Amino acid sequence: MALLADLLQNTLDGIALGATYALLALGFTLIFGVLRRANLAYGPAIMFGAYAATWASQHFHTNLFVLALVVLGATILAGTYVERTCFAPHRAGAAAAAMVASFALWMQIEEIAMLALPKHLYPFPALYEGAPLTLGPFSFRIEALVMVTAAVAICLLLRRLLYSTRFGIAVRAVIDDPRAAALAGINVPRTTALAFAVASAIGGAAGFLVAAGDGQVTPMLGMWSTLKGMLAMMLGGLGSLPGAVAGGLALGLIEAHAHWFLGPQLRDFVAYLLLFALLALRPPWMNTRSES
Amino acid sequence: MDEYALGVLTNIGLFSFVALSAYLLLIAGELSFGQQAFFGVGAYAAGSATAMFGLSLPVGVVIAMALGAAAAALVALPTLRLRGLYFAMATLAAAEMFRILFELIHWQLDVEGELVGPDGTQGFRGIRWMLESGVEPIRFAGIVWLLLVLVLLAFVYIENSKLGATIRALGQDPTLAGALGIDVQRVKLGVVAASGALAALGGALFAHHNTYIEPRNFDIMLGVHSLAYALIGGLGTALGPLLGVLLDIGVLEASRFLQGYRMIVFGGLVALLLIWRPRGILDEKVLHWLRARFS
Repeated sequence: MALLADLLQNTLDGIALGATYALLALGFTLIFGVLRRANLAYGPAIMFGAYAATWASQHFHTNLFVLALVVLGATILAGTYVERTCFAPHRAGAAAAAMVASFALWMQIEEIAMLALPKHLYPFPALYEGAPLTLGPFSFRIEALVMVTAAVAICLLLRRLLYSTRFGIAVRAVIDDPRAAALAGINVPRTTALAFAVASAIGGAAGFLVAAGDGQVTPMLGMWSTLKGMLAMMLGGLGSLPGAVAGGLALGLIEAHAHWFLGPQLRDFVAYLLLFALLALRPPWMNTRSES
Repeated sequence: MDEYALGVLTNIGLFSFVALSAYLLLIAGELSFGQQAFFGVGAYAAGSATAMFGLSLPVGVVIAMALGAAAAALVALPTLRLRGLYFAMATLAAAEMFRILFELIHWQLDVEGELVGPDGTQGFRGIRWMLESGVEPIRFAGIVWLLLVLVLLAFVYIENSKLGATIRALGQDPTLAGALGIDVQRVKLGVVAASGALAALGGALFAHHNTYIEPRNFDIMLGVHSLAYALIGGLGTALGPLLGVLLDIGVLEASRFLQGYRMIVFGGLVALLLIWRPRGILDEKVLHWLRARFS
């Protein structure tokens, strides 16, 4: 019985964690879809957004809603800078150069954020300050509930954007085949830049939810977002948006269970082992279409 | 020469090995986010050999290189068919597993009344072979640079041989290389193993230079830095990675007025440089031009 309760509790925690991972993976996948490139500076752009909001909260009395807008705005700004510097000039070929350039900007953005806020930990206004909701043997953090709800809402919004607007059709056409999209009269560079901004906004939302959910920000946020986002994207098969959500949830569930039964070090080990095994075995849902 | 300059000089040599290992993979057409793991394997193996078992540094280095090659081959065997981002992610996953293993290893021996050996996240201290054998820092720097020159000579020899042409053919177009009768999987496995041994050589020397290592030394930052060094310096010659390391550690880290702003300058410069030269400063075209000019 106790084991069953643990399993259920872990599953609840895993879904809450997985909701954030799903958002990170969605942003990563959208960028990979239009560019066929991994954007290593994705996490640091999110960190920049979270740090900008932390800085604002320290200097002005602002409410959470305004802070959320600051995170989104600053993440989109940093994301656009990355797109203009690392990806727009390398549109054809030079995959390694684009990836290394995005790593260079990772270092740069992280250092700028840490010059503004040099301490190792800063408080961030919390989503919810009260005690967790308890129901029998289970407890559920209210902020986790907010995070899951927000993640679901963002997924639905993105779905609507991609499947019910002209912009969405253009993005999907570029993902499918940039050359064919260009021949069909779609402005590929503009669509790509806009899709990049949308992906940055999704990442910013994830960053806000993590910072406000934890009630703190640390310099680890950048690397954490990049690693977890890439891991969830790859687990979901690389390249499909529903796959990214599934990969994020799977990663959250695996981590929650492994954390409980094996501890924090083996939790990460299990996640990486699973990714390695999936890459080596390449099950049918893994997309094998590589970047050009 | 003052101690600081000597330290910088030694570090340039040390990190050139791991940058060269990333370069070797890049010219074979592969991107690795995981060279830090083999650097770490080398550091732990050589450190254990000298500090725990009283072996000499040369023996420790040989063990480290053998283990580094074996570890790299072990990672590559199930992933040989992967390309591009897939291979890069597989190497990253493997390297993170190695880093966590370093955190989990607690294996200490009693050496002359003192517990010596890897102690998980507490790191591995007391790798003092140099001090105990009376090797002075300046001589150690000499050893590092001598080894580096030997490795560079090996690179020059190989790149001018048929094997070098084979490796570059693989990097240009693996399908075509296969059609020309090159055993793509075998050459790739060899390249990966050699790159693992090279990184391990750097790690073994690093452990003895620092006398203290910890798992955090071998995280993804080191791996991506070595990739960046190789790519900034240029993929046309083995001197490229050296130039990359020189620019970062030699010029920027050593310029004390840049303290605190180093990454802002370096990051921006690298991103701009790569727009202008996507295969680095000393790329194939520059090398052709130089050869035509000076031969």
